[in-house]
Amino acid sequence: MILFIALAVSAGLLVGLSRQLNGRLALSTSAMESSFWNHIVGLTFVSFIALFIGGLFEGAPLAAPWWAYLGGPIGFLFIAAGSWAINRIGAAQTAMLIIAGQMISGVLIDVAMGVAGNTVARVLGVVLILGGMWVTRTAKVKR
Amino acid sequence: MIQKPLPRFIHFFGAFGAGGLISLMLLTNGTLAQFGSLLFSSWVPHFTGSILAIVILAVLRPVRASRKRPPLWAYLGGVSGGLTVVATSAAMNSALALSGTIALGLAGQILFSLVADARGLFGLPQRMPAWRDFAGLGLIIAGALVLIFWGGAS
Repeated sequence: MILFIALAVSAGLLVGLSRQLNGRLALSTSAMESSFWNHIVGLTFVSFIALFIGGLFEGAPLAAPWWAYLGGPIGFLFIAAGSWAINRIGAAQTAMLIIAGQMISGVLIDVAMGVAGNTVARVLGVVLILGGMWVTRTAKVKR
Repeated sequence: MIQKPLPRFIHFFGAFGAGGLISLMLLTNGTLAQFGSLLFSSWVPHFTGSILAIVILAVLRPVRASRKRPPLWAYLGGVSGGLTVVATSAAMNSALALSGTIALGLAGQILFSLVADARGLFGLPQRMPAWRDFAGLGLIIAGALVLIFWGGAS
């Protein structure tokens, strides 16, 4: 169990590491070029894993709806935005705002798609997150 | 006086909007994983994202911010991102389930970003988080935990 907890935590650490590295690359190049390299290097890496493990095309991937293939363009924008933001508001604020955006949009998508859920918890969660964003937003900037 | 808070708002909105993109990616990549393998659901977005990246770079030709070459390790963000998929999928299939994996992942991400800011890791500017940052962070984590463990149907 401890192994899986460590794996889950390190997945988060790797997300932070990736954003830090991409941010550093954007500092010398640009947010768009940083996202370009992230995807090219990532594609090479995942392809090697696929060659090693195999089973990349198992199942019925062609049966998936066409829009399911659009994660890439969205991801390109996401990495570019993260590399852009981290150099302007820092790693911690970038991380917490991305988490806030992910959580609130997740609730909106669930509600729009009619996914059942606890309304009280949804409202409370969103209010807490908006409150947290407001507190940080009004923080004095140290110069 | 009016101009100062405006750029900050744009940065805030940009990062917040990027979080919204994650939800869309969860939808697209999660749907792919229902039809194909988990590896496929990570390989496809890397592939289609690379194609768009090549087109955008060829068309827009963004100017490099510095003449100095970035260090080689700065190009490894994609490897770290690829490893994330592996670690997440392994943890998700344990007793932690999806909610526990997401919650612990958020903790890891927050922890890394705080240390990264405080120490200025990997060549990014060092900045000490203010107490209001911690207060805001606490509220956002609390809200995220409420949504993850109590927001679903049960």
